[in-house]
Amino acid sequence: MATAMPVPVGATGGWRARVQRFGGFLAGMVIPNIGAFLAWGLITAFFIPTGWIPSEDLAQLVGPMIFFLLPILIGYTGGNLVHGQRGAVVGAIATMGVAIGGFVGTEVDGELVQTPMFIGAMIMGPLGGWLIKQFDQAVMHRVRTGFEMLVGTFSAGILGAILAVLAYWVIGPPVAVISSAAGDVVDYLVDNTLLPLTSVIVEPAKVLFLNNAINHGVLAPLGVAEAAETGKAIHFMIETNPGPGLGLLLAYWFFGPRSLRPSAPGAIIIHFFGGIHEIYFPYVLMRPITILGMIAGGMAGVFTFLVTDAGLTATPSPGSIFAYMAVTPKGGHGVVLLGVAVAAAVSFAVNALLLKMTVHEEDEVVMPETATVGPAPATA
Amino acid sequence: MASIQGSDVRKVVVACEAGMGSSVLLVTQLRDRLKGTDVVVEHSPVSQIPADADVIVCHQGLEATARGVAPGKVVVPFSMFLGDPAFDRVVGAITEGTPLEG
Repeated sequence: MATAMPVPVGATGGWRARVQRFGGFLAGMVIPNIGAFLAWGLITAFFIPTGWIPSEDLAQLVGPMIFFLLPILIGYTGGNLVHGQRGAVVGAIATMGVAIGGFVGTEVDGELVQTPMFIGAMIMGPLGGWLIKQFDQAVMHRVRTGFEMLVGTFSAGILGAILAVLAYWVIGPPVAVISSAAGDVVDYLVDNTLLPLTSVIVEPAKVLFLNNAINHGVLAPLGVAEAAETGKAIHFMIETNPGPGLGLLLAYWFFGPRSLRPSAPGAIIIHFFGGIHEIYFPYVLMRPITILGMIAGGMAGVFTFLVTDAGLTATPSPGSIFAYMAVTPKGGHGVVLLGVAVAAAVSFAVNALLLKMTVHEEDEVVMPETATVGPAPATA
Repeated sequence: MASIQGSDVRKVVVACEAGMGSSVLLVTQLRDRLKGTDVVVEHSPVSQIPADADVIVCHQGLEATARGVAPGKVVVPFSMFLGDPAFDRVVGAITEGTPLEG
């Protein structure tokens, strides 16, 4: 029936639904564990040598948390998504192999490189869960009564042990090489002041609800590796900057269609302080031209962060200004706020202009077609 | 296009991508508006919509995924997080016991 009705903006299936499902799966491994990321970010911000209260003793927490706790949580959750508690256990064991490999290090271009194995965890966790699921489906119903626990325990233990070794030998090294190459690409963009160009891709993808996939699936794993090395990373600030969304909502408040203006202040609070960026996506989707304002705001923000050498210690999630302040390293608050403010100002200016050009008194219809999608009229 | 009588609705699930951000926000709002009925309102990731959901509410961008995960269920897509008529439609159908399609 989906073909028989007017297709609402962005509801088409196909590649987007697939990318979204994949991205949603990646995000589903990370987001439930975001509290641990924040804890790691806070410990880093406080106790590393350049932190608020440097402590050599407590700084020992930083390494093991990023090399072991965070990847294993991701792998555990990934296994759990595929096959419940048993999948989680095997996923966690398998992730341990790849995590240790990342900690020991891989030789890349003659240099021993340590890699926090986030990508490795996103592979091994679900893989471990999937394999034990296959075993359970093939074997468990044939097990003689009374031996279920024995078979269950041994199958998980043996499979986990094999996977941990395989992950250590076979999966870890290529992932380290790929991570290192992806990091080099970002470094190249940073060094050549090309990083703002990423907004051309990131901002449109964001409003298509690929925000979590981009941030938690791609940028955050790269950022974590950088932050582990230098104490902060700009990667965390590309997708999460609440400035562009704030500018858009302000523009709607003052220059949007009259019937939409009252909703803007509430949306601003939820977006900017609550960090739920999804709230502004519909405002972009209903006037797609405003994506230009979002890109402009995003680029201005990234450019400001780049030239002021700003960075965060961990991914600010949800993307609230409070989360931003919490994971800003000591001495960085001014430039971080500046980047957010510049992004908001540019986004506001461009979007205000775009809205002034496109909003006319007569087109006060605002709700896009979804409200009445389908044969039955809305019964509100 | 599935359909359900508003009076038969026991559980409304609000789905978003991760099931932790925007869906939670909407659950609070819907619960408030459905106070006094015995309808349960929950949030979940769109990939893990519980099988006992009667009505699924999600952003139109996730509609295709939601329909794939929960075939045959009533899926009500919305476009705005605040003040979308889709919410009025769900609340209206449940409180008045009228049919809800989607």
